[in-house]
Amino acid sequence: MTETGPRPRTRRFEAMASSTAATGEALFALEDLAVSYGDFQAIGGVTMNISPNEITAFIGPSGCGKTTLLRCLNRMNDLIDSARVEGSVRYHGVDLYGPRIDPVEVRRRIGMVFQKANPFPKSIYDNIAFGPRVAGYSGDLDDLVEESLIRAALWDEVKGKLRDFAPSLSGGQQQRLCIARAIATSPDVVLMDEPCSALDPIATLKIEELMLQLKKDYTIVIVTHNMQQAARVSDRTAFFTVDVADEGSRTGRLVEFDDTGVIFTTPREKATEDYITGRFG
Amino acid sequence: MSPADEIRHHFDETLDAILRGTVELGALVHENLHRTTEAVLESQLEVAQQALDADDEIDARYAALEHRVFEVMARQQPVAGDLRFLVAMTRVLYEIERSGDLAVNMAKGLIRREGYTLPAGVHSLLARMARESAHLFQRGLDALADLDAAAGPVLDEADDVVDELVGEFYAAIAARSDDMGFDIAVELSRVGRYMERIADHAVNIAEHVTFIVTGSFPEEDSVATGDEN
Repeated sequence: MTETGPRPRTRRFEAMASSTAATGEALFALEDLAVSYGDFQAIGGVTMNISPNEITAFIGPSGCGKTTLLRCLNRMNDLIDSARVEGSVRYHGVDLYGPRIDPVEVRRRIGMVFQKANPFPKSIYDNIAFGPRVAGYSGDLDDLVEESLIRAALWDEVKGKLRDFAPSLSGGQQQRLCIARAIATSPDVVLMDEPCSALDPIATLKIEELMLQLKKDYTIVIVTHNMQQAARVSDRTAFFTVDVADEGSRTGRLVEFDDTGVIFTTPREKATEDYITGRFG
Repeated sequence: MSPADEIRHHFDETLDAILRGTVELGALVHENLHRTTEAVLESQLEVAQQALDADDEIDARYAALEHRVFEVMARQQPVAGDLRFLVAMTRVLYEIERSGDLAVNMAKGLIRREGYTLPAGVHSLLARMARESAHLFQRGLDALADLDAAAGPVLDEADDVVDELVGEFYAAIAARSDDMGFDIAVELSRVGRYMERIADHAVNIAEHVTFIVTGSFPEEDSVATGDEN
């Protein structure tokens, strides 16, 4: 991984990152996690561990809170005034919502790729270089840009046109550019929120192949409406559903979390089976 | 490698691993077939027991491969050639595992008729029959390893040699059945049946390969059918 400048606040995470990999412990440990927006509880009662260097998929019907949960993992919900997080999220054993944790630093360590590719209206090169520059990166930016694009399986397609306007790339290329941008700041986790929902099947398979390569170096958590995608790429799958109360309020709930092979061949819960076989959802 | 291959590199690797694992399983069965043949021809009870023990490893690998194919079908939504390959592999795995069981049955038969010495004529026929059957099984595995679509019809023809030998073997047993006694005659004719079935499984493997590659079986009426027991 590319060397970055000193970041005192993250030394604690990084020191723990190596110990997490060595002991096979959970990278994220969620306990009785609940997220509300004002009076509306989007999801509740989530207890689960996410392992390092694996792809964990969140699947479930609309409104089950899977994206809300994903956004808890890098404190993106902080950006919404009414959002309230209860329970705990431990990252490398550290309370992610603890008083001395800097959310900006959290988001550098835990990057995110969104549903719609959102390249900056700048050159391909500047899209990648932007984050490291802001963070005061002291190494060779050209090398970092190249390495990030290689890791994102985009280098061969853009190496001769790094100064081209990024939004002129195809949808699939833009999304891989966003992945390259996310990994340029040396995160150890990449969160992906429906990264392929706007892509054609071939571009989708390219992103999936990329994810399978990236998991050697990063931990990936993906939210997807496409359960076949979860089946194809993930190591572990969490199925969420939505409970509707008498008064009509809807709250997401974790139904089952297991090895993806188990979920798609012999799920324990009938609700999971009904959803993945298309009988409910 | 074409760009299409690179896109699903991990999936292709998985399919390759399944093919490799299945060919290796077949090699273990082939080895055990030799072991049981040697045991029967030399009246080596110890070797027969080794063959029985070796079958545990074969069964374990078979179960693991079958589960893997099952999981890949569930997770990768295979279509076209990938689907033909995976569906055919569930059958090929069955053909191989059954062949292993038949080899073991032969070893069990030897243990049951402990102390009996084969008459010379029966002995030499059994040796030829077992050699041809094992050879056909190896050719089935070669067809699988090479995904050789042309092997199906070729092996179907070659199977006639085994069938003829089995016929001769039955005749030899019938001619000596009074000397052998009923139980031994039944045990030995079972061995003939096992050899015939192993050769049929080999033909089936090659025909599944034809299906994987071309999408159709060599000829409907040439597919070896029937139950082995």
